[in-house]
Amino acid sequence: MATYDPVFSALGLEAWCESGTEKASGPVSMADLLAQNAGTDVPAPSIWELPFPSMDQLHDACSAFPQSRVLTKGIENGFLDIKDGLSLVLDPLTQPLSWFLEGALWLFETTPWWIMIPVLLAVVMLVSRSGRLVVFVGVCLFTLAFIDYYSFTAQTLAVIFVCAFLCVLFGVPIGIAMSRSDRLQRMMIPVLDMLQTLPAFVYLIPLIFLFSVTEPKLYGIAIILYAIVPVVRLTDLGIRLVDKDVIEAADAFGMTDRQKLLKVQIPLALPNIMAGVNQTIMMSLSMVVIASLVSAPGLGVLVLRGIRNLELGVGLVSGLGIVILAVILDRTTKLALTRINAGQDR
Amino acid sequence: MNRLVPRFLKSSAFAAALAVTAGVSATDAHADCGEVSITEMNWASASVVTNVAKFIMEQGYGCKVTAVPSDTVPAATSLAENGEPDIATEMWINSAPVYQKLEEEGKVKTIANVLSDGGAEHWLIPKYLADKHPELKTIEGVLANPELVGGRFHNCPEGWGCRIVNDSLKQAFDLEGNGIEVFNHGSGDTLAGSIAAAYADEEPWFGYYWAPTALLGKYEMVPVDLGPYVDEVHQCNRNTECNKVGKSSYPSARVVTGVTTDFAEREPEIVEMLSKLSFTNQQMGAVLAWKEDNNASIEETTVHFLTTYKDVWADWLNDDAKSKLAGLLK
Repeated sequence: MATYDPVFSALGLEAWCESGTEKASGPVSMADLLAQNAGTDVPAPSIWELPFPSMDQLHDACSAFPQSRVLTKGIENGFLDIKDGLSLVLDPLTQPLSWFLEGALWLFETTPWWIMIPVLLAVVMLVSRSGRLVVFVGVCLFTLAFIDYYSFTAQTLAVIFVCAFLCVLFGVPIGIAMSRSDRLQRMMIPVLDMLQTLPAFVYLIPLIFLFSVTEPKLYGIAIILYAIVPVVRLTDLGIRLVDKDVIEAADAFGMTDRQKLLKVQIPLALPNIMAGVNQTIMMSLSMVVIASLVSAPGLGVLVLRGIRNLELGVGLVSGLGIVILAVILDRTTKLALTRINAGQDR
Repeated sequence: MNRLVPRFLKSSAFAAALAVTAGVSATDAHADCGEVSITEMNWASASVVTNVAKFIMEQGYGCKVTAVPSDTVPAATSLAENGEPDIATEMWINSAPVYQKLEEEGKVKTIANVLSDGGAEHWLIPKYLADKHPELKTIEGVLANPELVGGRFHNCPEGWGCRIVNDSLKQAFDLEGNGIEVFNHGSGDTLAGSIAAAYADEEPWFGYYWAPTALLGKYEMVPVDLGPYVDEVHQCNRNTECNKVGKSSYPSARVVTGVTTDFAEREPEIVEMLSKLSFTNQQMGAVLAWKEDNNASIEETTVHFLTTYKDVWADWLNDDAKSKLAGLLK
């Protein structure tokens, strides 16, 4: 006797209910078991304990009514049905990502440290033109290498470089397209909001079904989906914020759309775009630990080891390593940003 | 801290709690069992063990039971640092060296092998692969034909006890030298996912997994013979400090219930019951298979066990508890 029995009998649906699967064959709940022990029926709940008429409650009253697990099971089966078709399309499309990641990991792992570190420092110098920052980055990298975290750091850097580069490669054009079409912007903003708030694990589950778990693109996609958002948003914003008067002037000079975009809008939006790039790099770094759950190499693996074995030292030091990388990347891109700003003010 | 709370406070809190929980007929005033905490490990068989134990302790012995979600190593560490929880069950002690130390120090008492057959750890290949290529049932056969197993060994994630052993064995058998790439999974989920994916397409798969698990109940896997078990070699293989790795298969793992020494003195009746609480691999496998088939929750699986295996768990109880649960046992 379940709470909502009278509802079904009042609606004259008893026959339909009885056509459902036999109640006794299904799983029995703990409450039934306790009642059986006490030798009584489950006591009728008072009005204070009235359960919400949820799917499970209605199923108790009428066995033909589906339980809520049928819904989740249905979604799962629906996904599994389209899975083969999806992966047929998506697998070749995303295959280059695996190659990029494998290539970058190979490059960072096989290049000896005495080439790798100077090259990285040279890049920092080129981008930031700041001797102090180069010294700081050098000290950080040598410290990480000195405590035997060099290979993990290099793996993490390789993954981040590839993912951040691809984010910029796709994010900036998407942002430009959004800035030119209000309708596209209206469509994209909910998608971007969703990507940013959806817990990473949620889209990792379908990815595990779609692709082989041994492919690096699995974590590549997870990182890119999460980290692409700021660069898209800020590119869109930057271009929309370009002064109307400037655009008017450009029109007056008879500039074509392409000339306006390349010579006026993008240069003026560059500070915003660079801020987006900076945020994108930071966000891909923050995904490192989660990506390690789907077999991404690098410092995240050590953090996970720290958690699983409660090796406090390993966890803290590798976590700190991630922070150091974040600081390095943040300072470098910020300095590049201020250089661009200074260049524009001139 | 709990032990400092005066007795009357505890029992009144307990009575109140019992009155709230799903209309149990009479509040059993004579039961003097207090609050008990028990680990609930994050895999299916452990959840079944914990929930069955919880049910019996609550309904048969009148305890107030808190199930603490946990994992092997954190549970052992918590026992070492805080002396909590009171009961740690389905402890795979091979993967938690801390536990053995605690036992030697006398902080913890092992009272039962909760999986009486012991757990089994293996290097496995799927059944369809073994049927097609019987030579793959030994490690020599695998090493000679790496392409038949897909040229890849699926290894445990970093931080698992088996990872250390597998890393030693991979050197001892020279997997990489024989053309088998070792893929280190990031978590147990992708390891399980790779088995499911291989089974869906009947692809080759070769890697580590353990039983009893719902996964191995669902997908039939065949162990690869790694040769005889040599205790000395295995002890070295599972120790990161030891360099003389060698060839040895896995021993059957002891899976135990442990209680703190304090708890053993405080609640001898419960300890008596827990020392009998154990499952054979066949029982556990059947229960987990039922769960998988019916897409059931842990609670329903627990109920299924309690209703189907009455004679099994009736033997665990003392007379008092038997009379309380008589309604179920008839």
